[in-house]
Amino acid sequence: MIFKIAFKNIWRNKLRSWTVIIAIALGIFGGLAVISTATGLSDMRQRNAIKTYVSHVQIHDSNYLKYSGLKDLIASEEKVMSYIQESDQVEGVSARLRIESFIQSAGGTSGVVLNGIDPEAEKQVTNIAEMLQEGNYLADFKRKPPILISKKLSTKLNAKIKTTIQCSFTDINGQPATGVFKVVDIFTTSNSMYDEMNAFVRLEDLQSISRLYGSHEIALTLKDEELVEQYREELMAKFPGLHIASWRGIAPELGYADKMMDLVMTIFLVIIMLALAFGIVNTMLMAVLERKKELGMLISVGMNKRKVFWMIVWESIFLALIAGPLGIVTSYLAIQFFGKYGIDLSFAAAGLRSVGLESIIYPTIDSYYYIVISVLVIITAILSCIYPALKALKLNPAETLRTA
Amino acid sequence: MIKVTDIHKTYDDGKVQVHALRGVDVEIKEGEFTAIVGPSGSGKTTLLNVIGGLDTPTQGSVSVSGIDIAKLSENELIDFRLNHIGFVFQSYNLIPVLTAKENVEFLMLLQKRDEAERNERTTKLLKAVGLEDQINKKPNEMSGGQQQRVAVARALASKPDFVLADEPTANLDSKSTANLLDIMLKLNEEENITFVFSTHDQRVIDRAKRVITVEDGKILSDVTK
Ligand SMILES: Nc1ncnc2c1ncn2[C@@H]1O[C@H](COP(=O)(O)OP(=O)(O)O)[C@@H](O)[C@H]1O
Ligand SMILES: [Mg+2]
Repeated sequence: MIFKIAFKNIWRNKLRSWTVIIAIALGIFGGLAVISTATGLSDMRQRNAIKTYVSHVQIHDSNYLKYSGLKDLIASEEKVMSYIQESDQVEGVSARLRIESFIQSAGGTSGVVLNGIDPEAEKQVTNIAEMLQEGNYLADFKRKPPILISKKLSTKLNAKIKTTIQCSFTDINGQPATGVFKVVDIFTTSNSMYDEMNAFVRLEDLQSISRLYGSHEIALTLKDEELVEQYREELMAKFPGLHIASWRGIAPELGYADKMMDLVMTIFLVIIMLALAFGIVNTMLMAVLERKKELGMLISVGMNKRKVFWMIVWESIFLALIAGPLGIVTSYLAIQFFGKYGIDLSFAAAGLRSVGLESIIYPTIDSYYYIVISVLVIITAILSCIYPALKALKLNPAETLRTA
Repeated sequence: MIKVTDIHKTYDDGKVQVHALRGVDVEIKEGEFTAIVGPSGSGKTTLLNVIGGLDTPTQGSVSVSGIDIAKLSENELIDFRLNHIGFVFQSYNLIPVLTAKENVEFLMLLQKRDEAERNERTTKLLKAVGLEDQINKKPNEMSGGQQQRVAVARALASKPDFVLADEPTANLDSKSTANLLDIMLKLNEEENITFVFSTHDQRVIDRAKRVITVEDGKILSDVTK
């Protein structure tokens, strides 16, 4: 009977009940929207970082990372390369010679890391080839060796395609070395910080300038991202002298970013829940005060306070039970839709790019969050009706009946 | 039996003190049909509330069916009201979302009576108040007179020792008033239901079997016809 009265009571003021139902549904929707967008963002950031510069696994000489010395080439590189190339788990592998150098054009100077690459191999690992203005991936050039610089660097150096630039560094013997290159194309990745610090030349060109016939870095990607740690261990067992790291070890900031997201997400959720609680407290309080006389009558004729309390709590539970599925279904549909077509944030593209993000976000979510958020919202709804329900218990029946 | 001994009730809101009852002694026995009469503000409602355990006297004792209600806790008082007193209010005060039948059944549900008994008694009571054809109507689909008759049926549903009615006819027209009194009198005579009601309507007073007149919180006269 208490259920029945509670259930009927919520339809007495339809507008108010729908307001609460929609508030709860929006709470669920908001919570899930925040989580799915944040997850989409961090997935994208991670994917971009892996695709542009981190790759899945990187191999260096153990000393290279400590001193980043020119001389610390990977020992027995050919053996390592052929071992990796033979694996059918590997999607692509690229050996790079990396030299920090001073880059200079008629229009300006900067510091940059020259990446000596085999364009065809690099293509299998990173997506620089897809980020070019004209699609000239170190292929089409005349006398001077070709170089790819980023849009950002090109602005800084005031260099365009066909501009000649000079790179200088100190070789392993402490002697100055210089290479002259011609810009053949300009790239733009989604990470402007990376762009500013990297340029690409052909491996053989850089080897002949530096007279270092080897490479500092082997980067590879796997077909299945899940197997990264396992494959890394396999390599470590096989080549114990080398430093072998997975993307988590190379770019731990990608993981930190997830933690940041978690914090932001938690704050958002707390705000949503507080707003929700406030709305429900307000509405149920109104429902109680408006029905003072009726509640007073119920207490007068012998309905005990525990039942009165539960009657009001049940009203909120019913509201939450109606709102819960509503919120979940709309969130599910929205996340499916935007997960497929993306949320276009191109108006903020510049800002997003500086932190390694693209302008279209594809929200995605772990399905267990649907349960987490629903439970959270329903608990909030129930907790927030406790105060109004207690208020109802404080009513003095004789007094409420006097007020006609 | 209701036994009220030297009760006083003072309302004190911190600024002014109102002596609503100033020394009332009265006894009401089962089977009575008693009117409490007096001008507005004389203390009728306060007296009925004290008897019904809705309000506690500042001084004096109230015993209903042998229970000293001054000694009851708040929760015990609620149970006392549920099992010993039937209430009829001036403004009907039915549960608006329930039908006539459900309103009558409600107290029996609180008393945890079984379904067969509830159904039988609900039907019988609604018939007794002449509403057997209105059982599925909600309060707002009925006239004031009909609602008050549902209220009487509800008050009887819990098998109370006493039915207390505070100005039950004040909101009714004369025809509905006469009709309600017919029903109450019939229940009193045929089922030996005890009614104690307050009123200042002369037509109602005329039909009471005992008239207790209060003024300024004291009993002025007590006449049994
Ligand atoms: N809660 C209260 N606080 C202060 N005074 C009250 C309160 N309830 C009733 N009174 C006063 O007590 C007196 C008796 O009231 P009441 O019993 O309602 O009289 P009646 O029912 O005969 O009109 C009146 O003067 C009324 O104003
Ligand atoms: Mg009164």
